[in-house]
Order: sequence, then structure tokens, then C-alpha cells
Amino acid sequence: MKKIVISAAFGLICLFSASRLAFAHAMLVSSTPAINGIVHGPGVAVDLKFNSRVDGKRSRLILVLPNGATQALAVTAQPAPEELTARAELEPGAYTLRWQAVAADGHISRGEVPFKVQ
Amino acid sequence: MIWLTQDFDLLSVLLRALTLSLEALTVGGVLFLLVIATPAMAEAGAREASSRFAGWAALGLAIAQILSAAESAAMLMGGSGLSFHEVVTADFFIADITIVVAALLLFLLTRLRRGSSRFVNPLLAMVIVAGSVALSHGASRLDHRFLLLAFTTAHHLGSAAWIGAMPFLLVTMRRSQETDRLHALVQRFSTMAMISVAVLVLAGVGMACFYIGSWAGLYGTSYGLLVLAKVYLLFLILALGGSNYFLLKRTRGEAKPLLMRLRRFSEAEIGLGFTAILIGASLTSQSPAADMPQDRLTTHEIVHRLGWKQPSLTTPAFAQLSRRVSLKAELESESFTGGSPNDAMDQAWSEYNHHWAGVIVLTAGVFAFCARFGSRRWARNWPLLFIGLAVFILLRADPEAWPLGPRSFWGSFAEAEVLEHRVFALLITAFAVFEWAVETGRLQSRRAAMVFPALCAIGGAFLLTHSHALGNAKEETLTEMSHGPIALFGITAGWSRWVELRLPERDDSRIRRVLSWIWPVCLVLVGIVLLNYRES
Repeated sequence: MKKIVISAAFGLICLFSASRLAFAHAMLVSSTPAINGIVHGPGVAVDLKFNSRVDGKRSRLILVLPNGATQALAVTAQPAPEELTARAELEPGAYTLRWQAVAADGHISRGEVPFKVQ
Repeated sequence: MIWLTQDFDLLSVLLRALTLSLEALTVGGVLFLLVIATPAMAEAGAREASSRFAGWAALGLAIAQILSAAESAAMLMGGSGLSFHEVVTADFFIADITIVVAALLLFLLTRLRRGSSRFVNPLLAMVIVAGSVALSHGASRLDHRFLLLAFTTAHHLGSAAWIGAMPFLLVTMRRSQETDRLHALVQRFSTMAMISVAVLVLAGVGMACFYIGSWAGLYGTSYGLLVLAKVYLLFLILALGGSNYFLLKRTRGEAKPLLMRLRRFSEAEIGLGFTAILIGASLTSQSPAADMPQDRLTTHEIVHRLGWKQPSLTTPAFAQLSRRVSLKAELESESFTGGSPNDAMDQAWSEYNHHWAGVIVLTAGVFAFCARFGSRRWARNWPLLFIGLAVFILLRADPEAWPLGPRSFWGSFAEAEVLEHRVFALLITAFAVFEWAVETGRLQSRRAAMVFPALCAIGGAFLLTHSHALGNAKEETLTEMSHGPIALFGITAGWSRWVELRLPERDDSRIRRVLSWIWPVCLVLVGIVLLNYRES
């Protein structure tokens, strides 16, 4: 019984002490398009730079279109370990680029970049 | 998958905390058997028990690491559409599996009791540490990567040899009959602990130079605040360790009773040490302060927020709170934005909650004081006040969810913050009921008396890592600036009460008296901090 109580207490300590959301790991340092920036279409180059190495093969870029629909962007070969790049053909309008980066240590972080295409 | 995103994020850090703790325990056990409890130093029965314990810790680590790998795989395959092959060939997954294999081998070797395991186990322990370091911040850094990996390795080994090995010392003390031999073993452990602390601190300072980088990063970011909390715990553990060291010098000749006190102090050291390791797990999910030059608080902002102001005991009406979008839309948005800022009415609602919580905790602290030092019988009912606090949290902490808001009781569990608040309410009710029964003599069991300190320490650790998704790093840091001291007071209250109860009745009454003052004072301080909580 005593062992069970000790094990349960240890488990609880672990459980309750770990409640911070794994939200901020690979952090966006700079982006093209910039946050709330305006770019010229139709060909738009996407370039996100992070504070740490990110796994390009396993990271995702999703575009929220002006009508609310979503479109996955193909991540191109990484020019540097901390960069994610893609290319899209876009009509004028307000877009949001949602990124999900997998850091080299396996942590997942997410964020978004709202921008407009003229 | 969106319904599970927040809870899975929470689960991923939870599992990281569990694996880090079990890693420290497993590696600490191997080091203890290798350096301290050698066949010449320890009795066979004590060595056997320590070896078995290390084996079970390794098995626990393997299971926790499998769960961690499975959670990552589910998250990436379900949420990002990655194929199974893409997941299992990722570096982090390979590191996970490496730890699992090494831990399982270690478990098997301790069960088989082969002579060769004495040489193989340290190698397996090193593989476990290497795998864990590959999952740390250092692995993904752009600059000084190898130096940071070296610091992280030293930090892991230092905490394993000190905090992780300490439970094995307790096991050995319990299983040993020969006092002189045990005394020599404890002295040897004391030397290893001192070296480990030096390694741990030096590596920690080295990492802080790169991850924090400046004083402003230390006091002005969430990462820096967590490091400061770790430093506070380190000083507490060192104070206990220091008293153990001097105790040890006095134990020659009359070892048995004093070794008993040493065991009680060591229990608190272990608890505080594992809390520090769990903060370490929380740090791995934070962006290093050095990467957030734009999101640091200035001293002016801190003084402005923390300066004393009259508590507000009037609440805005529920109808005045900002209307939330549907839960699905909010979860989807929050997973990318990190949360939405509160408006003035939301802030007033939250401040009112905290201020009334402050009134309750402050009153409970004063009553606890009266019960202990003023011999007021009615004051012994102070724990019941905490039930009021639990009800208050359940009703008002999450106005968008049941019972006030439109979101259902079960559906709102998808929000990590709601889940945390409800766990809090449950914890508080449990300790209030147990402590009330103990204080009023309804429960005589010694174990029942330990529920209050244990849950107080757990609740403190929980709060230390509780985050607020406000979508603004500065606001989140300011909120954590008031929750941090509350957590540390809770942890201090819990462990001081724990040691007070665990020390034998006949023991030095001066130490017991000092300890019996500490926890009611901590409760009063928690109340005062809550009364000054503000969100603007």
C-alpha cells in the first residue's frame, strides 16, 4: 500500500508539474511576407527564418485563403537549417500563412503570418 | 485532431517531465551502485535493493519514453499528415527509441544479476543521457551547438548523481544494519553530492550565459523566471543538504537517531530536487530568453504591475465579458496564435477571482496560525475555507465553460487551461478535507496527515508550470511573475510541513518549532500576493 501511495504521489508530481503548453520552441525570427505586410502577386515567395534548426521534411505550411479555405504549400529544399521556404501563386486579397515547425529536437511549434497580396 | 491539440501539447511536456525524472533516477541509481554502494562499502541486501530499484526505474523510463514517442508520432501523423516512415526516420524518434532500448537492456541486466552488468550498466546509462540530450534545446541551436550539448550533458549527469541518486541512499539506509559502515557510505555520498552540485551549477551557469544572455533576460522573461525558481529551489536543497552535512559530522557514536533525522531531511531534498527537474522539463518547452529581445519586460513595467493597489472585490456582470467564438474555432486559432488577449472586463473578472482567492487563503493562513499558537479550537477548521476556494475556481475560473458559459462540462476539457483549473479544484478539495479531518482529530492516521503537505507541494509545482495563453509574451510573463512566488510559497509550505510531521516527536523541538512557523507564514504570503494580482 505504501509503495502504491509513493508511486501515485510521484506520478502526480510529474503530472501536475508538466502543464506548460509546448508552444514556444522553434520561434519565428523573421518572415517573407512580413507579419501584416503587403506583397505583390501573383508569384509570392515564402521564406520563414527560425531561431533554431527545423526539420523541413516534417514541417508544414498552410495558407488560409481570403474565402477561409485552406491550402497546403509544398516546402522546398531548405536553403539553411533554420529556414522554411515555399512558393505560391496568389490572387489579390488577405491571407494568413500558418506554419507548424518541427525542431531538430522533436518539439513542435506553431504560428501564423497574416499578409495581403496586391 | 484539433480537439486534442492542446491536450496533446500538454501531454508532450508532461511526458518530457516524466522521462527526465525517470532518467535522473535510473542514471542516479547506476552511478550510486558504481561509486557509492560498492560491494566493499554497502551490505549485500542494501545493494540488492538499490539494484532492483534502479531496474524498475529503467523500466519506467522505457515505458514513459515509448509513450512520448507514440504521442509525437500520433501528433505528426494525425495533425500534419506525416507518413509512418517519415516519423520513424526523424532524429528525435531515433533518440527516443535509443533511450527505450538502453533502458530495457538496463532493466534486464538488473533482473539477471550478471556480474558483467557492473561494467555494462554505466555504458547504458551514458546512452540514455546522450539520447535525452539529443532531445534538449542544445540539439537544435544554431550557434555553439556542441558546447551547449556538453553543458547539457554535464547538467543531466550532475542532477542524476545528486538528486537521482538520493532515493537510493534512502533505500540503502533503510536496508543497512551496520551503523559504522553506513556512516562511511553516507559520507562518501556527501562527497559525490558536493562534486555533483559543483558540476550542475557550473553547467547551469554556462547554459544560462547562452540561453539567457543578460540580466534583463533573467528577470524579464518567462524563461528567466523559471530559471530563478530553479535557483530558489537549489538554495533550499543546499540549505537542507548543508544541515545534513553538519549533522553527519555529529553522528559519530550516536548515529542511529541522527541518521533518522538525516533521512527525513533527505526526503524533502528529493522532493525539491525532482520539482527542480520538472521545471527543467518546462524550460525545454520555453523559448530561451536570449531569443526574445523584443518581448522582455523592463523594470518600469514590472514595478508598475507589482506595486501594491487596493484589491477589487466587485465583479463585472457575466454579460459584460467578451463573447467567445465556438470552441473548435478557438482551439484552431489558439494552436497558431497562442491565445487571445483579455479585454478590460475579462481582466476585471479575473482580478476579482484572484482577490477573493487571496481573502480566503489569507484568512486560512491566519486561522492556521491561531490554531497552532493561540490554541483557538474553532480556528482548527481553517482547511474548510479551501473548499470555498475550490468551488470558486470551478464556478468562475473559466466563464466561457460550464456552469456559467455555453461550453459543455466535458467538451471544455479540450482546453488545457480549463483542464488545469479543474484538476486544481480537485486537489484543493482533497487536501482541504484530509487536513480538516486531521486538524480536528477525526483522522488519527499519520499518512492522512501527509496529504496536506504532499498536495501543497504538488500544487505549488503545478502552478509553477501553469501557463496563460494570452497571445502576448510580456503579459504572460507578468502573470507568471505573480503566480511564481505563490508556487514557491506553496512548495516551501508543503515541504516544511512534511519535515515537521516526519521528524520524530522526541527530536529537537527547536527545528520542529521553526518548521511549524514556516508553512502558516507561507499561506499568509500567498494570500497577500493574490490580493495584489492584476492583469493591467
